[in-house]
Amino acid sequence: MTSRDSKAAVAFLAPALILLGFFRLWPAARSLAESLRGWSGAEARAFVGLANYRYLFQEDPVFWSSVQVTLKYAVIASPITVAAALGLAFLLRGKGRRLSFLRTLCFLPSAVSLSVMAVVWGLMLDPYYGLANSILKRLGVPPQPFLSSTNQALACLILIAVWRNAGYWMMFFLAGMESIPKEVYEASALDGASSQQQAWRITIPLLARTMSFVLVANTTFNFVTFAPVFILTRGGPIGSTNLLMYEAYKSAFVYLDPGRAMAMSSLTLLGVLILSIVQLKLARARFEC
Amino acid sequence: MRRFTALIIAAAALVAVSAPAIGATTLEVVWMGWPKNLVDMQLEDFRRANPDIVLDVQLVPFNQLFQTLEVRLASGRPPDVFIVDGPMTASYAERGYLMPLDAHLDSRELSQWFPASVEACRYKGKLYTLPYATSSVGLYFNKDIFRRYNVELLPEDPGHRLAWEQVAEIAKRLTIDASGDGQPEVWGLIIEQCDRPYQVVPFAESKGGRPLSPDGTTSEGYVNSPAFVEAATFYWKLFNDWKVSPKGIMQAPIAREYFGNGKAAMMLGAEWNIAQLRNFSDSEFGLSPHPYFAGGRALTPTGGWHVGISSKTAKRDAALRFAKYITGHDAVATWAKLFGNAPARRDVYASMKDVFANPMWQTLIYEMEKTASPRPVTPGYLEYESVLKEAFSSIQYGADPAAALDSAAKQIDRELRKYR
Amino acid sequence: MQSRKCGNTTQSRAIAGRIVRAIPREALLLAVAAIYLLPLWWVTASSLRPAGSLYQYAIPISWRTFFPDELTLANFANIFAKLDFGQAMSNTFLVSAITVALGLVVNSMAGFALAKFDFPCKRLVFVIILVTFIAPFDAIVIPLHQVVSDLGLINTRAALILPAVGNGLAIFLFKQFFEGIPSELLESARTDGASWWRVFWQIVMPISLPAIATAAVMMFLFQWNSLFWPLIAAFSSRFRMVQVAVATQIAADQTHWANLFASAVMGSLPPIILFLLLQKRYLKGIAGMKGE
Repeated sequence: MTSRDSKAAVAFLAPALILLGFFRLWPAARSLAESLRGWSGAEARAFVGLANYRYLFQEDPVFWSSVQVTLKYAVIASPITVAAALGLAFLLRGKGRRLSFLRTLCFLPSAVSLSVMAVVWGLMLDPYYGLANSILKRLGVPPQPFLSSTNQALACLILIAVWRNAGYWMMFFLAGMESIPKEVYEASALDGASSQQQAWRITIPLLARTMSFVLVANTTFNFVTFAPVFILTRGGPIGSTNLLMYEAYKSAFVYLDPGRAMAMSSLTLLGVLILSIVQLKLARARFEC
Repeated sequence: MRRFTALIIAAAALVAVSAPAIGATTLEVVWMGWPKNLVDMQLEDFRRANPDIVLDVQLVPFNQLFQTLEVRLASGRPPDVFIVDGPMTASYAERGYLMPLDAHLDSRELSQWFPASVEACRYKGKLYTLPYATSSVGLYFNKDIFRRYNVELLPEDPGHRLAWEQVAEIAKRLTIDASGDGQPEVWGLIIEQCDRPYQVVPFAESKGGRPLSPDGTTSEGYVNSPAFVEAATFYWKLFNDWKVSPKGIMQAPIAREYFGNGKAAMMLGAEWNIAQLRNFSDSEFGLSPHPYFAGGRALTPTGGWHVGISSKTAKRDAALRFAKYITGHDAVATWAKLFGNAPARRDVYASMKDVFANPMWQTLIYEMEKTASPRPVTPGYLEYESVLKEAFSSIQYGADPAAALDSAAKQIDRELRKYR
Repeated sequence: MQSRKCGNTTQSRAIAGRIVRAIPREALLLAVAAIYLLPLWWVTASSLRPAGSLYQYAIPISWRTFFPDELTLANFANIFAKLDFGQAMSNTFLVSAITVALGLVVNSMAGFALAKFDFPCKRLVFVIILVTFIAPFDAIVIPLHQVVSDLGLINTRAALILPAVGNGLAIFLFKQFFEGIPSELLESARTDGASWWRVFWQIVMPISLPAIATAAVMMFLFQWNSLFWPLIAAFSSRFRMVQVAVATQIAADQTHWANLFASAVMGSLPPIILFLLLQKRYLKGIAGMKGE
């Protein structure tokens, strides 16, 4: 069903590819090249081949624990976020001021800058005098350490990510629902389908494309999360929230060892790329009839 | 009135930026993200006296300052003048980012600053930065809390310091958990920058430890020496055994909120609190000199912001004029008035007697003259500080002090290899 | 009598049933509202309070935590009069608006090519586009800075705009959306002699409002929230961006809480207004839908 007019395709693609080539691919290639060099000192940085990678794999325990933390974070946060976003979209679609107000409310966290949001959550989750503990105290629950506990810090970051991102991805689901032709619903209503059946049999399958988009994009975002860690926990307590991108940041800007930093982000990129392709394949197999 | 002048200045600055005078030099300055109106007030005189220089002051948020400088200094187009965290002087100088200043200042000019501050500007015998501010630390305490629980007030005379062992006992008595929920309503002691080597390393130095090898490239046998482990164990006990200090309060502004609002009886904090604590008018505060370990050395943290000139600048004269202005008497005095930081210049203390006659300031001036101990000079300060900071953070959260310091020493030495 | 009563009961039962069935939904809506409103309300309330200490009103928690007994706009006046917040807002608005305008054209075109054309190496092109949005910005920021320097764009508005125009995620979004448009629609226009260019602009784009709106919000937010890139790419104070202005309120030596909250509230308004405007447009069609 697609056209084979290659000339037209190239013309349509060219502007975007030129821009992406200059401002994304070329820098990405350069950082890949950086990962093959030693650390920066006063002297020029020497070519060291795969030494940075060998180091990561063979003698860098910090890297490995960081990989584990990142996997845990992304694997838990991603499905919860997508499910919450889809749930919100079902709950809040439709007409009326009240729903429109709630939609805006859910979108709001993505409009507030990350640095401010992290400060606000830091204050809310203050282990001793924060708002969250004040409320828990009122409810008779003992105060919680939240971000200052090795057991709870990562969970807090996950919940904050869900809170912040669910409304954002909800927007994509709402737009996806909007593009489903009304006639489909009308036909099934005539067949006596309940709204629940409609949701399962029509809406969700027809959202397949939106779903695969949100799934891939959100998983990617989670794997490369940096700012909340940087502002809220600095990787602590005791490395329990030391996500890969934060470790890479430290390598580049604090340890002045861009080789290790770039090796780490190149590996992350490769991992996420493979994961995304698998996700897209699975989504296609699952939904496309 | 002040608001009005600020508005005028802001408007003038806007016009100046959008329509630079013909033949004017634009000087790029990377500066800490302090409030713009206050920075403008401080620069008012410079702008008036130097109509041929247009200032482009780039206020960078504190959390982004060091990354921004890393990228910009390494690029082909660095700022002409930039703010330097004192101990970073060696790191930038080692990498050739800074212009040596020896030829441009005579000994009379240099003698205006505290010798320790000028020392912190040198690396391998050359002067690379100028001191903008310095700092000192003391033990603030909330007199109301002491009185409420019948604890004798701390000594406030300069040099009359308590031992850490005594402070720990007082902190235990003043950690109050009336509701019994395990979360005290009042904590005994809060440390303002509780994991930063700036405040933590002097604990170990008081026990006789040295932060780094004299050549600044080895930490094995220094940061994991017995003195460091003993000091770190005391630190560990504050949070994990005696539980007199709250875990996880890593940010200075939050620590100050705790102390100011009566949630902590004592705070080990920097000089800026003398001015900042006036925002909390409900309580009466005192300042006792920095404690030391019984039988050990008395010493206090010091150091602060410096100003550097890029080695690549094409506007050397304008840059020098600016650097001398911003570290000069008038600009520093204005800043001390607006912000409450400790000036690094003697003449400011002399000209602002009314401010510095305050007994709290007297206590800290005594420390700056007698006990101030600068941070180690090493081109790898950034790496050193960050690794050690994480180690102390872990110890605070309960990690074994000896093990944490051992692995910190290993990691620091690995990062410092590149400077050997 | 009996039967009437019976009928009444069935009727009221039906109503009761509807109410009972509505309860979980209502409870859910209320819970969602509370979870989202609480932190945001607190920020807003704090921004409207006279400058003071942070925990003063949070401990113990009371109605005063959320409802200031003294309202003031002084913090907002402050950030505009003293901290040049207005200039930062207009700078950022300009940059974001241009990025969105250019980005919508460029990315929708690329998405269209991927959705409706077959050409050699199509899979490779798609994977390359995946790479462009997967590659973490924080990881390529240093080489990107070098590239922008080499192009001579450093310290210009173009350095803020151009790198953000091509957006792999937006291309992906458009591709997914356009794939849902029946190809017959395009083919029939083609047989009538319309060029691809005309088909794209006169048939495809007009029916793609939901995708355009979401992509616009997405790209706008990306620019509006950028913080580190402006600091190194367009550092001159006259280009100062809004998130930089917000973040400077957070400092090591002092944090002016009231100004921080006021600038956070002010800095969030433009994206929210944009969302409201677009929601009004693109969610219009949903109104008549059954699916409650």
